[in-house]
Amino acid sequence: MASSSSSGLTFKLHPLVIVNISDHYTRVKSQLSLPPSLTSTSSAATSNNNNNNSNGGENNQNPPPRVYGCVIGVQRGRTVEIFNSFELIYDPSTRSLDRSFLEKKQELYKKVFPHFYVLGWYSTGSDAHESDMHFHKALMDINESPLYVLLNPAINPAQKDLPVTIYESELHVIDGVPQLIFVRSSYTIETVEAERISVDHVAHLKPSGGSAATQLAAQLTGIHSAIKMLNSRIGVLHQYLVGMQKGDIPCESSLLRQVSSLLRRLPAIESEKFQDDFLMEYNDTLLITYLAMFTNCSSTMNELVDKFNTTYDRHSRRGGRTAFI
Amino acid sequence: MDSTIAQKTWELENNILAVEAPDPSSDFIFYYDEVAQAMSLKAKPWANDPHFFKRVKISALALLKMVIHARSGGTIEVMGLMIGKTDGDAIIVMDAFALPVEGTETRVNAQADAYEYMVDYSQTNKQAGRLENVVGWYHSHPGYGCWLSGIDVSTQMLNQQFQEPFLAVVIDPTRTVSSGKVDIGAFRTYPEGYKPTDDPISEYQTIPLNKIEDFGVHCKQYYALNISYFKSSLDCHLLDLLWNKYWVNTLSSSPLLGNGDYVAGQLSDLAEKLEQAENHLTHSRIGPLGTSRKKEESHLGKITRDSSKITVEQAHGLMSQVIKDILFNSVRQSK
Repeated sequence: MASSSSSGLTFKLHPLVIVNISDHYTRVKSQLSLPPSLTSTSSAATSNNNNNNSNGGENNQNPPPRVYGCVIGVQRGRTVEIFNSFELIYDPSTRSLDRSFLEKKQELYKKVFPHFYVLGWYSTGSDAHESDMHFHKALMDINESPLYVLLNPAINPAQKDLPVTIYESELHVIDGVPQLIFVRSSYTIETVEAERISVDHVAHLKPSGGSAATQLAAQLTGIHSAIKMLNSRIGVLHQYLVGMQKGDIPCESSLLRQVSSLLRRLPAIESEKFQDDFLMEYNDTLLITYLAMFTNCSSTMNELVDKFNTTYDRHSRRGGRTAFI
Repeated sequence: MDSTIAQKTWELENNILAVEAPDPSSDFIFYYDEVAQAMSLKAKPWANDPHFFKRVKISALALLKMVIHARSGGTIEVMGLMIGKTDGDAIIVMDAFALPVEGTETRVNAQADAYEYMVDYSQTNKQAGRLENVVGWYHSHPGYGCWLSGIDVSTQMLNQQFQEPFLAVVIDPTRTVSSGKVDIGAFRTYPEGYKPTDDPISEYQTIPLNKIEDFGVHCKQYYALNISYFKSSLDCHLLDLLWNKYWVNTLSSSPLLGNGDYVAGQLSDLAEKLEQAENHLTHSRIGPLGTSRKKEESHLGKITRDSSKITVEQAHGLMSQVIKDILFNSVRQSK
């Protein structure tokens, strides 16, 4: 059902949406499965047993619930940017969507985020189902071509990719009958600086404050891991190219073209204006450092003078330079 | 992977307490126990002890929403409400939402307008399956630190009289972006006339000159709570995977370019403080009195700390620029 999309739209997803959906799912799941003991902290043994039970089969009685909600954002030209999301009430058995709730929520969100509008809907699960099409069609009167964001909540430690897929709907003629089917689209993760820092903060739990040494260590560790990733990615490309050279892998000219255009983009900037600006920035930082050192020195000197004055108190009764008792 | 080894070594060296391990049992924090909550609301253990609540636990989602909202306001203060529950002496914040009011000096009035929005939002939330109640409010202090101003203190005291349990959270989005770590503080006020028995030592932060009076007058009327964060096992998993796409942004972020105005403002503020300190010094030059000497020392000492903080942030920003320059600009042909 899911082939690659041909609409040519680029999708940008913000991490807030992902955390939102995950939180919604976790909440609903934990409300349904009662914790083993409510009054006191349960003993480790019983809680572990219960956990194993609920995790092993993933169902005490029912499969993990599906949650539904709406995604909002902005579409500018060919780029669709998904910023936020909220929950919706949907009954899969009767296939009814609570319209008034949706409208109320839309109003509330419009007041705080006047630029965002409904872009589509989300749900959890492992794959897109036929039944999802009903929900999709229901949303079509708000947005003519809504998106479907699917999050797979199963935790698979071997997985390397984000278990989030975005589907669009396309009209295809199958067996002579025009039908809407889901087609998968690719997306990128887009963030603003503040978002990145808070995600980083929660993901890696860096300490706030602390001495300059720990701050430096934190900063450098972050950059170091990023460079490590860059290195490993380049390593993958390199292996691929070597394999192609040896002849193990069939030559694919489009990929080769991409790699060569990437290489041609280095060095990134080489104009003289850049050098000037860069050096100016460098000098500014050095100046600030100099200023800070100066302030430090003058403060230490001030303390020294004060201590000197206390030790050799000219106004003492004995007068002159006497030892301070 | 090397990065995890580096992270673990660094964590060990700095005694980082790991947050609850991401196993499914920690997801119980997401369960809302209505009976227990109703019982604790009736018992009101906080009514007798003004220092009852000592800790705050903020969920990953709430933190993300609050920081993004605060940053989106730019230099205007924004505010919103937090939803959650209590757990013994901890307040747990599960979610947050923004309020459609603009921050002005008369923010106390603005809160009245927001009540309708709040009621509507809470109703829809309960319908959608989020059962917790409003447990506090947050607002932003863009560029001037996390503390409660005079108006904030009076608003919070009012809230603590009628809407207990209630918490005040302040976020500084400008400092967050400039220093690379989240600048946030959680506070509760003491009731009128209560004198705290001991002075808790709060973490030092620089306050700009035009706000320092407001800070000083009220700083004894509230206390800060310890903040810790939690996330569900699914969140952990997703955030780990997100890093696979994120590393590009870490490398490409340029804090120096984004925060030039803020740094310039900090420096000029520092210059004014220096002038003030100089005036103090020249006035009490004769015979160092015990108390005034301490004040001057701490004036100049504070200024030194401020200037080193600014420098450290600048140096970090420059370091990443230099690293990027080396990586992408100095391309050499290797054999």
